[in-house]
Amino acid sequence: MSPPIIDRAAASTPPALARHIRGLSDRAIAWIFIAPTIVLLLAINIFPLIWTIRLSFTNFRANRTNAPVRDVGIDNYVSILTDPEVWQPMQATAHFVIWTILIQTVLGFSLAWAIDRKFRGHGFWTTVILVPMMLSPAVVGNFWRFLFQPQIGLFNYGISAVTGVPPSSFEMLGSVALAPWAIVIVDTWMWTPYVILICLAGLRSIPDYIYEAAEVDRASPWRQFWTITLPMALPFIMLAVLFRGIENFKMFDMVNLLTSGGPGSTTEVASITLKREAFEKWRTGYSSAFAIILFVTVFGLANIYVKALNRVKSR
Amino acid sequence: MAEIRLEGVTKRFGRTAAVEDLSLTIADGEFLVLLGPTGAGKTTALRLVAGLERPDAGRIAIGGRDVTAEPPAARDVTFVFQQYSLYPHLSVYDNLAFPLRSPTRRVPEAEIETTVRELARLLQIEDKLKNRATQLSGGQMQRVAIGRALVRRPSVYLMDEPLSSLDAKLRADLRLELKRIQVDLGATILYVTHDQIEAMTLATRIGVIDRGRLVQVGSPREIYEQPVDTYVAQRLGQPAINLLPADLLPANRLAAGTRTVGARTEHIRVTPADGQARGRVKWVEHLGDQSHLHIALDGHSLVALVDPDTALERDAAVDITLADPLCFDAAGRRIG
Repeated sequence: MSPPIIDRAAASTPPALARHIRGLSDRAIAWIFIAPTIVLLLAINIFPLIWTIRLSFTNFRANRTNAPVRDVGIDNYVSILTDPEVWQPMQATAHFVIWTILIQTVLGFSLAWAIDRKFRGHGFWTTVILVPMMLSPAVVGNFWRFLFQPQIGLFNYGISAVTGVPPSSFEMLGSVALAPWAIVIVDTWMWTPYVILICLAGLRSIPDYIYEAAEVDRASPWRQFWTITLPMALPFIMLAVLFRGIENFKMFDMVNLLTSGGPGSTTEVASITLKREAFEKWRTGYSSAFAIILFVTVFGLANIYVKALNRVKSR
Repeated sequence: MAEIRLEGVTKRFGRTAAVEDLSLTIADGEFLVLLGPTGAGKTTALRLVAGLERPDAGRIAIGGRDVTAEPPAARDVTFVFQQYSLYPHLSVYDNLAFPLRSPTRRVPEAEIETTVRELARLLQIEDKLKNRATQLSGGQMQRVAIGRALVRRPSVYLMDEPLSSLDAKLRADLRLELKRIQVDLGATILYVTHDQIEAMTLATRIGVIDRGRLVQVGSPREIYEQPVDTYVAQRLGQPAINLLPADLLPANRLAAGTRTVGARTEHIRVTPADGQARGRVKWVEHLGDQSHLHIALDGHSLVALVDPDTALERDAAVDITLADPLCFDAAGRRIG
């Protein structure tokens, strides 16, 4: 039998240090190993969060560090929640989140279902489908700006070829009506593969013999889909929705590159508003309060959702 | 109920033939067990009858109707899978009711309820009807799976090692239960197993299968007492038959041309002897109601059955004679 791990660790350590190590319990060793991670987590996640909460009750401005900082109580929260203009970014975010989730889930699950069967070059095409999500959002944002370009953009020419509308007669990114949909299209293009991947994992987890049993039990393909495929893949679909929802609630990079919130403020999602308040208007206290409100919203929704997810999973 | 007829059925996967030129008729109301080791092609044969696989050659008829080209749903069969093939998100009740709720059948809900409850009583899972299928123990799950096959009255029942994943006690219980159900229903059952006890106790007839080919069909007694070759002889009997060169031991009767003798435990007479004897006891396995004697003899080893209170111990010298052993020729075919 090999000696206990603690003795082996001590044996390969300089004698002075080894004396200290030998006196430690396994539990203490475990703590030593995870301590760096915990310290890092506290320093760059937990501390800023607590600091943000503190700042949200002040009128602090990060560009005027010499100005006196005054406690304003819940004034920041009151002014945000009573400001009718705050509803604009909230609505833009809701539009973006709801439509991207809806389209990506339906599209992602359908495509996963379609490519789940074995066919020639199956592995190759699965990889090809996954390419968009391997790209950086900055790259995606930039080249979709070219695709959406009314004079030379491929997207407009494509639409024109299908509908007959002249390509330069509409501006995906410049029109109030179309811009909210333009960002939904790009996000869908980029992230549907991710949903496909998760749904595919769900579909692959359903054993063949369940379908065979259903076939012998005379269940039609339609009934097999509704009583086997969908219920058994549902936890995976819900997981995809959760990931996409959280991700898109804080969407910033791609939308900032495509429209910067414009035209006007039609595509100004919450994180863009937040960035403007924090780093253009330098209202640090106010934007801290705004960030906390967003955080609580996402956290609350995600919690309710995870409870529902667990209920589905335990079925 | 109906008879199953397979005529020259062949199924290949790539270059290996899983089932080759299989011809077999299972009579109406018969319990036929296909016996063979893993990979012999017995499950494929069953799946061919179910319609889960299509044969490359040959035809399959159920109840006199050619079903070779029909999908499983059209064949009026039920299938019990080796794994618990339950619908995990449905309750036990809904699992049992599933085959009855097929839109092509339109069974009234009240009738479904009566049938399901009756069946649950038979399988002793009445108190589990509201449970989710995944909240059951292995034995309960398999009973539900068997129940799902029994819930409608198909022409034939197909079962693929339904008891193999259960513990010994439950397996013995369900074995009896299955036989009783089959007798009560007069059901035609095609049953696949590698377990010789299941084959011996359940079967009206046993079909022994080897590398895709049907080697012998007959009643359990026939298969046990008159195996056509050494392969079949090795499939039945516990402990397994001893295959020995014909001239190794004195026997009361050997057919002319015998090259190998098959000595089951009942063919072996063991008598204690002095130190000159050729047989040496290597070890004794005490099983309670009987004891297995492992004997080394001129470089061969054999197993004999002795009384549980045997006085023989390790390294004891023994004389062995054979009484009416099975005789096989050079090719392994039985000749006497």
